[in-house]
Amino acid sequence: MWTQRGDWFKALADQGGWDVPKWPTDFGGPNFTPTQRYIFDLEMGKQPTPPQLPFGVGMLAPILMNYGSKAQQDQFLPGIRDGSVNWCQGYSEPGAGSDLANLKTKAELSDDGSHYLVNGQKIWTTLAQIAHWIFCLTRTSGDGAKQEGITFLLIPMDDPGVEVRPIITLGGSHSVNEVYFTDVKVPVENRVGEEGKGWTYAKGLLAHERSGLAGIQNSVMGLEKAKRNAQKIRIGAGTLLDLSSFKNKVGVLEAELLALEFTEMRTLARVAAGGDPGPESAILKLKGTEIQQRITELNLEAAGVFAAPWGAEAFGPEFAHGATQSYLGGRATTIYGGASEVQKDVIAKNVFGLS
Amino acid sequence: MDLAYTTEQDMLAESIQRFIATEYDLSNRKNLVASDLGYSAQHWQTFAELGWLGMSIPEAYGGLGGDLVDTMIMFEEFGKGLVLEPTLSSLVLFAGALELAGSDEHKHHYLPALGAGDLTGCLAYVEADEPTNFNFVATTALKTEGHYQLNGTKSVVLNAASADVILISARTEGQATDAHGISLFLVPGDTEGLSRKDYPTVDGLRASEVLLDNVRVPASALVGAEGAASQTLNTVINRGILAISAEAVGAMAVLYQSTIDYTKQRVQFDHPLSEFQVVKHRLTEMFIEYNLAKSLCMKATMLLNQNSGDAQRHIHALKFLIGKTSRFVGQNAVQLHGGMGMTEDLAIAHYFKRLMMIDATFGHTDIHLDAFVQ
Repeated sequence: MWTQRGDWFKALADQGGWDVPKWPTDFGGPNFTPTQRYIFDLEMGKQPTPPQLPFGVGMLAPILMNYGSKAQQDQFLPGIRDGSVNWCQGYSEPGAGSDLANLKTKAELSDDGSHYLVNGQKIWTTLAQIAHWIFCLTRTSGDGAKQEGITFLLIPMDDPGVEVRPIITLGGSHSVNEVYFTDVKVPVENRVGEEGKGWTYAKGLLAHERSGLAGIQNSVMGLEKAKRNAQKIRIGAGTLLDLSSFKNKVGVLEAELLALEFTEMRTLARVAAGGDPGPESAILKLKGTEIQQRITELNLEAAGVFAAPWGAEAFGPEFAHGATQSYLGGRATTIYGGASEVQKDVIAKNVFGLS
Repeated sequence: MDLAYTTEQDMLAESIQRFIATEYDLSNRKNLVASDLGYSAQHWQTFAELGWLGMSIPEAYGGLGGDLVDTMIMFEEFGKGLVLEPTLSSLVLFAGALELAGSDEHKHHYLPALGAGDLTGCLAYVEADEPTNFNFVATTALKTEGHYQLNGTKSVVLNAASADVILISARTEGQATDAHGISLFLVPGDTEGLSRKDYPTVDGLRASEVLLDNVRVPASALVGAEGAASQTLNTVINRGILAISAEAVGAMAVLYQSTIDYTKQRVQFDHPLSEFQVVKHRLTEMFIEYNLAKSLCMKATMLLNQNSGDAQRHIHALKFLIGKTSRFVGQNAVQLHGGMGMTEDLAIAHYFKRLMMIDATFGHTDIHLDAFVQ
């Protein structure tokens, strides 16, 4: 499978940097216009193409391109692009979830200015167990506003002071972790940009990450699949899809998805015209994740009692086991990347000017 | 109208609360989930000694002759502790069906032993081709000289692996979808030709696919009149819906309360979450919805207890509302716990999964909403 995956990304690269569709030409990307990128994502979303882990290509790379040194770009971008180096994101902490700026992981500059000594803990670190490196927000100063005094560091995971502890989540899977740092020495060469500016670097990307979490194309396909699943479930002379209480929910979701798709188009039109994404873009993650969750509910209903079996062997309709996992795992979508409640505060503040 | 519990009923609830407080914390429960049996045989004996197993069994058969209100009280408390023992399978469904339709001989043979905890049973009524309809029975029972021969497959049979006897619905006449022609048979778990595929369920219980390959049982294994089991199934499933609805009410009580507690101690943006208005309102909504579900659970229990003609409608309304409310309360409990709500280390994940399966058991929200509005 990994060979096929590698072949797939190589084939994309051969098209002129399609393996890194968001990268500019200077770094080997296709320099898509916003419209081209939208079409690219749309078409990729229609096929079961292997997803790329977002942490390196999508999250760290743009920060390195904008704020990293030439040496950092030369050292890290090739490994990110060819997938030989896995990255994870060290932002959230036990006391810093939605209130991310409250982070406490401490990075102290040595007297000779050669390295930082890092101590603290990150949490919800996705795929830390396979990562070679972690990019971290750390606190270098407690003075001023919470958003100040945050510094962006790159830390190798094989440092003896780094410990990864698994967190088993609702669906029984292991993808997130706690990451502990004990007296980890990080050379100043691994600091991205200036000390104390890490928040600014990370913030722009977070907004970007959020709009990517709307998953609209996945939802469009997911809803079609849910309808097909429901048609496999016999209810009397018809199927679950014929049941008015179920069918109405499908109809409501279809209508909302049509509207959300066009909301994305409005955002795109503004960006394509050279403007900023505008207030509509804030809606995408909020509504998109809510719709994702409601689609997982439809599949769970179709699975019915066959949602129960939790062994290695599946019973009942073939989609049932996956339906349970998607429903459980999907509860995280309105929590990660900024909980929906906090996102609404952000809209009230940024769009309506309400503090 | 007097809705207060009797002294005996208060004592029943308190005794289960005490048991759960001392025996049923999350780590004890996790150990039981991982054990061979999947629950505690010792607890089962305790349940018998405290009279919980005999609660709904008639006095003539060594039980306490309790009614559905007693059952509701017990299951509400079991739901607060996420109790794993097979009370639904063995008592509500298996003993319930025997008490309704069994012969005197059946009752004498099984009911006292069930109440004493010496025996457990379960009910196999789901089939994969139409899992939400207990009248869909493709499994056949062919009558031959004093015997019946059973063939077919029963799905998601709760507690089949640990049950001594499985009560199985099979067709003695008619087409797979006919309400008439369904019969119930007592089949000991070790009968030749009966095999199982056992699995854990997502909410920590155990279930099985039960395969019947020329299973021969004597004519005396037939429970009730031949071909007339649909009504018995309907009644025990209605009682099962009441029991798990009460269980859901108990589980939701724990969820909203523990969410209040969590939001009081979790500080973000320099304030406990509980000080944010959006959180206060959400907690209040959980409380409101929980109370509506509890009210309907009480009303449906009273109506079924009285054999009211309006009971069936209320059962459908109840199962719909329990599913809807379980989702609302469960999803918001996870949401307000943030990432912590997603971890297996916190109890709320386990309540969430149990509520999810209660919603799916005996037909989910849409099935019952549709039946209710018919």
